[in-house]
Amino acid sequence: MLIEIKALAQELPAVAGMQVNELCELSAALGFPVDGVSQEDGETIIEVDVTANRGDVLSHRGFARDLAARIGGKLAPLACPTLEEGAPLMPIHLRAGAACPIYSTAVLDLGEGPGTPEAARRFLASMGSNAKGFAPVDGSNELLFRYGHPTHAFDADRLKGCLIVRWAEEGETLVTLDGVERKLSPKDLLIADESGPVALAGVMGGDSTKVTPETKRVLLESAWFDARSVRATAHRHGLHSDASYRFGRGADPAMARTGRDLLARRLMDWGGAVLHGAWTAGEVPAAPAAIRLTEATLHRLTGSPISLGEAQPLLERLGFQVVRSADGLHAQPPTWRHDMEIEVDLAEEVLRMRGYDTIPMALPPLEGHPEPLSANYVQRKNLALRLAHLGFHQTVTLGFVSPELDAEFMSALGVDNPQGGRTLVNPLGVEYSVMRGSLLPSLRATAEYNLRQGAREVRLFEISPTYFSTPEGPQETLKLAIVWTGTLGGESYLSPARPVRSADLVGVARDLGLTVLPKVHELGEGVFGIEFPLGELGRPQERIIPAFQAFSRFPVMERDLSLLVAMDQSYAALREAMVQVLPQGTLQSLDCVDVFRHKNLPQGKQAWLMRFRFQHMERTLTGAEVDGWVASALKVAQGLGAELRG
Amino acid sequence: MDMSLLPPELCEAERGFPAALQACGDLDALMRLKGAFIGREGSHAARMMELLKAAPKEQKRELGAAINALKGQWEESIRIRQAELEDAKRKQGALAQAWDPELPPPAPAKGAMHPLNRLMDRMVEVFRPLGYHVEEGPEVETEAHNFDGLNIPADHPARGSADTFYLKEHAELLLRTHTSPVQVRVMQRLAPTLEEKGGIRFLAPGRVYRKDEIDPTHSPMFHQVEGLLVGKGIGMHHLKGTLNYAMKALFGPKAEVRFRPSYFPFTEPSCEVDVRCPLCGGDGCRVCKGSGWVELLGAGLVHPNVLRFSGIDPEVWSGFAFGIGVERTAMMVSQTPDLRLFFENDTRFLAAMGGLD
Repeated sequence: MLIEIKALAQELPAVAGMQVNELCELSAALGFPVDGVSQEDGETIIEVDVTANRGDVLSHRGFARDLAARIGGKLAPLACPTLEEGAPLMPIHLRAGAACPIYSTAVLDLGEGPGTPEAARRFLASMGSNAKGFAPVDGSNELLFRYGHPTHAFDADRLKGCLIVRWAEEGETLVTLDGVERKLSPKDLLIADESGPVALAGVMGGDSTKVTPETKRVLLESAWFDARSVRATAHRHGLHSDASYRFGRGADPAMARTGRDLLARRLMDWGGAVLHGAWTAGEVPAAPAAIRLTEATLHRLTGSPISLGEAQPLLERLGFQVVRSADGLHAQPPTWRHDMEIEVDLAEEVLRMRGYDTIPMALPPLEGHPEPLSANYVQRKNLALRLAHLGFHQTVTLGFVSPELDAEFMSALGVDNPQGGRTLVNPLGVEYSVMRGSLLPSLRATAEYNLRQGAREVRLFEISPTYFSTPEGPQETLKLAIVWTGTLGGESYLSPARPVRSADLVGVARDLGLTVLPKVHELGEGVFGIEFPLGELGRPQERIIPAFQAFSRFPVMERDLSLLVAMDQSYAALREAMVQVLPQGTLQSLDCVDVFRHKNLPQGKQAWLMRFRFQHMERTLTGAEVDGWVASALKVAQGLGAELRG
Repeated sequence: MDMSLLPPELCEAERGFPAALQACGDLDALMRLKGAFIGREGSHAARMMELLKAAPKEQKRELGAAINALKGQWEESIRIRQAELEDAKRKQGALAQAWDPELPPPAPAKGAMHPLNRLMDRMVEVFRPLGYHVEEGPEVETEAHNFDGLNIPADHPARGSADTFYLKEHAELLLRTHTSPVQVRVMQRLAPTLEEKGGIRFLAPGRVYRKDEIDPTHSPMFHQVEGLLVGKGIGMHHLKGTLNYAMKALFGPKAEVRFRPSYFPFTEPSCEVDVRCPLCGGDGCRVCKGSGWVELLGAGLVHPNVLRFSGIDPEVWSGFAFGIGVERTAMMVSQTPDLRLFFENDTRFLAAMGGLD
């Protein structure tokens, strides 16, 4: 909300002596931080951020009222004589109950006066609103910014018969001031005459009854409309006006008559209008019930004693009617406050007036036992740190992807994961419309981006949820995805260059403790990725230190065996068969430590160098027994088609 | 020595010895020289021994002394030269083994945690000594947890499809717009055993979604860290004390913190917490929009309706909650100019901003 300091000082003279930054600090302390300070035509304008619950502050006078309460200043009196209520010149029927309890109006003949005065034009310019040079419009706008109460002027000669405030009927339409035809819903509150709708109540007037340069006679509207209904109508029609903004956040019903008087006075003063009559249908609704506030509550909320004697005048300065009794203060909110419902609401007002800076600071006592960090969190954090130490960069990518990309990966991964249940109704765009079934598409795109940026090698990982369609909705599974691509080494005289291979990722997966290795996906030329649920990593040890396991202190005997095997020989099968015939417990390891492929080898063959390590728990092994074991393993291998390489 | 006692060829050898010794450039040449002069057989020394044997008795003594002296001199010279050559060879060998340490060594691969994750982990560390643990909730949430349970009215604009992403085949499901639904989930879970537990205190870091176009200060997905404490007799002083500690722990002991009134449907009283602008120190700059303060988080005492919704009696229990914008904090502390950098995942950015420690 824009506030012109000069206009603010007209409502609260005490402001005139304040520095701008002093005013900004004061405003922030009341809950309305200042977002910007600017100069317009020599006037200082501040942009005040008003919270959604305080419709009453959305004007110079409303803002001044809160400031005055805080600093104990006095508001300038409202310079406007009250119009005398007369007989209705046109019947007004209120048929919407509590949605519109009061409708105040006046009919005036427009005169030939000088029009909108310079001061009002400049003020409107400060508010970012151009003067139309037209008293009914400029006057209504000026008093909206100054006093916060929206008003409207109809061309009285274009209204037929009577005015009715009612809910719209199915099928009714209205062309609003902006020239758009609106299809009305029975939830829209409207103003109608005998011929049909003439205005969307509290939102926008109708085109057919608007004031034009030809208008001779105006009927003013200054009513009060229920905030909820105005918000809903504004939302339904995407029609957000200054009026709907203020009514939608709660206007002051007591301002219905005053608003009319202020607007009528402007027409008379600025345009020489002549008043025909003023009258009001309905009444200001009864004030809400008083709310009780106790010293105990104030004490609990702040940790320090605040007496009711201190609280009472603070509330009274805000316009509350306060009665003190044995069981506490009973405070009735003023007509402009719609945000007061329960005791803490009142307490907050007391604290706001005293200043939050007066509340002491303390750490709450620790009750009960603190809980350990969850295993999931610890696992995730340690995993991220571990992968970072292994050279991987953690990424954060958006949770939604395009349907095509998602489908490509779901089919590549062989997962039946229908997209319908994971698709957003209102995505930012189709490329952001499906909650992803896999992290790999996002990581592939990120890897490719980094390669294009000139990276030689890219190692990425992400730990994020993926989504699986179920009848109940998308099921979230936290997954780890790793992508590795580019050229390894070649940047130092001790590390020769080679392309990243899928085996590199298998090594990482094994290093992370995966027993069942996930499939390595080739996501593109030389781009490798794996993905698996974090649950597959197994839980971290419950014990701080695991149970002791004995180990051998006798010498290790090592043997190498070079085998010629077929190109398509399964390593796991060969190894497993050899392990079967070796003494369990004494065989420490059996691994292929080198693969040799060369044109000099027989066609279709490769050589695997198998390394055996034996160690007995209780004695030193003899060469003969070890050679015997290796020979039996060789025999098994030969049975599978392997040959001893000479 | 009296060279006149020796035959001319030996005299010649004696004269040529120093030059020959110098000419030995390596140990092999020296060994050949050694063999020629003092070897057991066929050397000049052996020849001299033969001469000595054949010499007349009266000359033997004098000749013997002369030969010994000469042989000793050769031996000594060869020994010295051998030591020299061996030393030179050692040095050569050492040089061949040595590598200039300035040559680029094989560098261990270096990765990085994402700066947003690092910051969230840091926040958990800050609150850990106060007894907070970590709770999590789903990103696809129900309207009940995301809005109803947080006292957000049915017609609140945040519920609209202009602000919140909804799922097509599940009208009641949405992408959570804040981490606050974790409050509702945890309170509902713990309500039955609250008396026994003595209270609730946790942080909920996580990803949230709002329908904002991607630009330098907006992203449809971002991160929050939610905090909740429920106990008996909890007030604003506890909230202030806790956040004052946390902000100083995060931004340094000199960090200045300001609490000002605000409004959220799920807290009452509500406040916003500002810290003194780290860029200008409070003089006013672009980052703080001239005010000297940067808004970091929203907080307040849990609204009685929120407690009640989750089955907790607000007459007995009270609490506070706060929510910190992770990107906002990260951008402020790092002066990162564009929010999109956090989601672009350029490894140069990640390595520089995320790091490992």
